[in-house]
Amino acid sequence: MTTHADRAARLLRWYPRAWRARYGEEFAELLAADLADRPRSARRTADVAASGLRARLADAGLSAHPLDHLTAARAGLATAARCGAAFLLAGLAMWSQVAIGMQWARPRHQGVTWALDLMSVALLGLALIALPAIAGLAKAAIDAIRRGRGRELRGPAAVVLAGAAVLFFGARHFQNGWPGTGGHLLLAQAHIPAWLTAFCWAATMWMTSYLAHPAALAAFPPGQLAWMACSAIASFALAGGAGQFLRRLDQPPAGLRYAIWLGRAASACMALFITGAARWLISPDGGVMPAFHVGSIDLAAMALLVTSLMLSGRALRGTTRARLALARTGAR
Amino acid sequence: MKGTPEPANPEGLLGRSSGPASLILSSLADGAKHGYALTKDIESFAGVRIAPGTLYEALSRLEAHGMIEALESQDRRRPYRLTAAGAAALSSYLETQKKVTEVGLRRLASNWAPA
Repeated sequence: MTTHADRAARLLRWYPRAWRARYGEEFAELLAADLADRPRSARRTADVAASGLRARLADAGLSAHPLDHLTAARAGLATAARCGAAFLLAGLAMWSQVAIGMQWARPRHQGVTWALDLMSVALLGLALIALPAIAGLAKAAIDAIRRGRGRELRGPAAVVLAGAAVLFFGARHFQNGWPGTGGHLLLAQAHIPAWLTAFCWAATMWMTSYLAHPAALAAFPPGQLAWMACSAIASFALAGGAGQFLRRLDQPPAGLRYAIWLGRAASACMALFITGAARWLISPDGGVMPAFHVGSIDLAAMALLVTSLMLSGRALRGTTRARLALARTGAR
Repeated sequence: MKGTPEPANPEGLLGRSSGPASLILSSLADGAKHGYALTKDIESFAGVRIAPGTLYEALSRLEAHGMIEALESQDRRRPYRLTAAGAAALSSYLETQKKVTEVGLRRLASNWAPA
């Protein structure tokens, strides 16, 4: 028979770990007493669920009411990084598809070329921003190790490195495993190296419309299917590990300010990429060649791009708010 | 994209989410209470039962803004008490509400009095 304590413990799972660590015991006591008063109450369940989800948003740096400002600043950066990773995945899948298509067929509409140019410039901007971002994180991590706080960074760092290694070597192996990649027939479109588009295509191969057609997907070679599964896991590990690393990394106020500035620059590049992607999606001949026509997967990718940009912007605003609050209280 | 700072004055928080927050502060004005005792007390004087999730969401915000503080407890039910900042915020909020109430009642009496 389920006791009130068991039911209270189940309801408590709506809340994030940090919240449970602070309020869990006393809240479970209140829930158990409330359950004794009113054994059945849909309103109570809905209230706990809604409140728990709001606490999870705050825990991810997406709400103005965090448990504490330092945690909120780190959580906001972590969420922005995860959103950036999701954006890159969807963006690279879309960009490599259009770029490979244009290596095989000249678009009938100038708009598609502009779209690809905009997307390419935006991705180049993101790559340039990634360099100082990685350098800043490496410096903060080295400082943390010197202070004897490197132990808690080991796990997420290992996950990030493993995910990156799997993606890099796997994509290198599979990048020319499909007849469409590995060459550029039209010299006019050769401003993007073919190996780069093939690499990005292979790294994001699992983001495919074939997922909606299991019978066709089953006809893929087993090696490619295994790679699709591996690369999906590696991508999630990379994004999740990077987020966890940022949550645990103790950054000084100047480091936070620097990260926020880079995040805003990245947001501008993301907005530019979305402009290019939208231009491609609405082009009358968006389908550069039959195999690359605009489909539901591209609309879904566009939705993911926009959502990632909005959430990362919200997370960065949360980080800024937390940084200002930390500066006001003089705390670190 | 300038960040909006947290409200420096506790009255700001109380003004925006005055429902549960003002009820909790009013209850704690009588002495420290834990969650269940707060629920029962508020139900007795205001006629509303604050759901557990809403109650703890408000408690955590009030605690973060220094309007209440948690006390040590021997058991799992942790009591909370009003702080000086919380008392000042509640007083200011209730004074405003008192003025609104007085104006409303006066206007009702002069314009909507039964014939």
